[in-house]
Amino acid sequence: MMASAPQSPWQRLQGIPRYYIYLLLAAVVVWQILFPIRLPITPSAATKGVFAAIESVPDGKLIIISADWDASTQAETGPQTEAIIHACFQHHKRFALMSLGAPMGIKLADDLARRVAEQYDARYGVEWCNWGYKFGYDNVLIAMAKDIPKTIGTDFHGAPVAQLPMMAGVTEISSIGLVIEITGLAGISEYWIGLIQGVYGTPFASAYTAVMAPGYYPFLDSKQMKGMLVGAKGGAEMELLVGRPGLGGAIMAAQSWAHLFIIALIVLGNVGYLLASASERRRR
Amino acid sequence: MRSLFRPAATSAALYWHLAAAIIASIAIIVLLHRLLGPRGRRWLIAMVTLLGGLYLGMEYFLPVRKDMLWPSHIPNPNPARGANLLSPGIEPVGNMLSVIGAFTVGLGIYSLCQVHGRNIIRRRSGWQNSLAFFLSMLAMLVFGMWSYYLPKPKIESPIMPWPKATYEVLFNGLFNPLQAATFSLLAFYIASAAYRAFRIRSAEAALMMAAAFIVMLGQVPVGAWLTSGLPTTGAAGFFRLEALGDWVMSWLNTPAQRGIVFGIAIGGLAMSLRIWLSLERGTFFAEQG
Amino acid sequence: MGSLEHANWFMRVLFGAMCAIIVVSVLLAQRGRQMFIRRIPGLSAIEEAVGRATEMGRPIFFSPGLWGISIVTLQALAILAYVVRLAATRLTRIIVGVCDPTIFPVAEESVREAYASAGRPEGFRPEDVRFVSDQQFAYALGSVGIMSREQVATSFFFGMFFAEALILSENGRALGALQVAGCPDPVQIPFFIATCDYVVIGDEYYAASAYLTREPTLTGSLVGQDIVKAVVLALIVLGVGLATWYGGAASEARNVLFKLLAKGA
Repeated sequence: MMASAPQSPWQRLQGIPRYYIYLLLAAVVVWQILFPIRLPITPSAATKGVFAAIESVPDGKLIIISADWDASTQAETGPQTEAIIHACFQHHKRFALMSLGAPMGIKLADDLARRVAEQYDARYGVEWCNWGYKFGYDNVLIAMAKDIPKTIGTDFHGAPVAQLPMMAGVTEISSIGLVIEITGLAGISEYWIGLIQGVYGTPFASAYTAVMAPGYYPFLDSKQMKGMLVGAKGGAEMELLVGRPGLGGAIMAAQSWAHLFIIALIVLGNVGYLLASASERRRR
Repeated sequence: MRSLFRPAATSAALYWHLAAAIIASIAIIVLLHRLLGPRGRRWLIAMVTLLGGLYLGMEYFLPVRKDMLWPSHIPNPNPARGANLLSPGIEPVGNMLSVIGAFTVGLGIYSLCQVHGRNIIRRRSGWQNSLAFFLSMLAMLVFGMWSYYLPKPKIESPIMPWPKATYEVLFNGLFNPLQAATFSLLAFYIASAAYRAFRIRSAEAALMMAAAFIVMLGQVPVGAWLTSGLPTTGAAGFFRLEALGDWVMSWLNTPAQRGIVFGIAIGGLAMSLRIWLSLERGTFFAEQG
Repeated sequence: MGSLEHANWFMRVLFGAMCAIIVVSVLLAQRGRQMFIRRIPGLSAIEEAVGRATEMGRPIFFSPGLWGISIVTLQALAILAYVVRLAATRLTRIIVGVCDPTIFPVAEESVREAYASAGRPEGFRPEDVRFVSDQQFAYALGSVGIMSREQVATSFFFGMFFAEALILSENGRALGALQVAGCPDPVQIPFFIATCDYVVIGDEYYAASAYLTREPTLTGSLVGQDIVKAVVLALIVLGVGLATWYGGAASEARNVLFKLLAKGA
């Protein structure tokens, strides 16, 4: 049996077993969660756009917060949702939660809204409500644009939405001052933009996980979106704007060092690759 | 004929409608199965595909009239937007498609029960996992429905009823954390995949690497801290990592994404045309005569 | 807001022109005109990937993505039918893990027909077309479980994928499987590129059925769509030029240019 050729140090540098990588990454994240090194955050123009969009909703109009996320993306979308809800309460804007694509996440959003509402003494059905999960994507939006109470029917708790005090005067899409889509699922924003923002001109803003945000910059650039929160950083920036530091800021410390660690790994792998190639060329 | 598509006035009428629809559907399916051979079935699929696509396409392209009158039993849309002859059917057709989609959930459950049931009956290796599947499915089903239909107590109690508490443990205590934990696996996989795959083998790869580093550092506070010595405005401000990252995303990424979207949309148009006209060879036309 | 709910005249003209170009191209191909399609490595590798599974005596795993009935998934099923026909002729087992329940009966029928068209109807095993879960991560972990238990030699990921893409492909890579992936959504492409051996990107995905079967109708449609892309590109260039020429900042430059030209004349 032939023995395998000994690996040079440069080859070993390219082949660190993945278990060590996982352990080190976990150690870096846990270290920063326990002993965070917080660095200053500056809100981006896209985040300020979301804040300004909420601020400029006319009194008497409703904000729809479409919370299309669930536990898997909660680390990014949870702080985003919480910060947006803070902004709504601080500017005395009524909002309705709903979900088109995440039946299990609407409860998480509801729990979050309840927790925040307690800080402002906001009453369910008066300052905010939860329309729940509505199945049908484009069918729901087409119908909702023409008759909101009839399309929504009952809220998350089974009560008729038409009986909620804040729904008085809410008839069709012109009653809506802003739609904010918070999601980790691709494809739902296109329904909102195509069927509501594009057709009726309803202002639209969004919040996405960092991995899917690059695909939505064209909508921001073409002004179809008023603003966009990008990943956990967007949530942290929004927390700064509403003056309520929370989980978003805490996550940024861990994310910063995790990014540095991954960059260091890539550099290490490339140093090994380049030196191994040079050594191979010298041998020839 | 039109009265067949009106909503049922009473619940008894609704149940009669449902019963009639089920019997008629079974009868039609049996007739089609007996009268049509494989070629006939393919012809029927092609016809239904053509008519379905034609309806939606014509509804989009036919000119609209702002004074279009609507049948009284269809929800009245906003008259200012206009409609054409086919517009009243859009919502009922959409609702019909949603209902058809909902039926297939039952098929999925049937498949799961079939596969896992066979594993248990034949005691294949790993049959215990199949047993766990049945137990967890039943637990979620039973406690989920039980807590939903639990009557509300006359006096609010701080102690949650035990069926609801069990459901909360299963959903908030097990399912949600499992989802979050599975998603967080991605962080580790990204680290190992990036370390293994990103090698500077060419000039383009080096450019891509530089862009990746800029965007990665621009997305986190440590990137802003690294270049915090630079002014926030002016030419030098452009080289702050968060500004550079934003520039990469807005001026390099956005046009590229637009180009990809255009290409995919046109590819989708061609593919849709092929499916609509039943030209697509593969799934349904493997044995085209 | 003009053309999203109902078409305006421009959309009718543009759409009509695009469809006409594609249909004319199809007709030309059907009349025997030879049309060139460049090599797409990811699709050319399908036969090699099936062959690897045959040599190793281990099964193939195919995932048609997470979406239900859509053009993306129908294309994935068309590729599945091709892969099954190849596998059936080589007596190689193929396991299909389905996420959306609406796709399950379609996938099962597709695989059954593919076995029949390859002359091996008895090779079809209903338990090899499985509904795993309609939940994204439950589907990912279930599929990873299938790949691990069955020790698949080859994995195919064609369809619409999201965050679970990396879970599927990284675990497949750890198993040593040869992996071919195709997804029209660009977000997951980097993850597939880092973990798979061959990746079909963007609208190469929609070219798959034409590329694999070389049917004149499909080839003509593919060439037609490329011509439409060129037309759209020309419209974009024209639009950018006009917007630049008549845009705010450019009007100053235009005035300077006119003055220079006037001086020179």
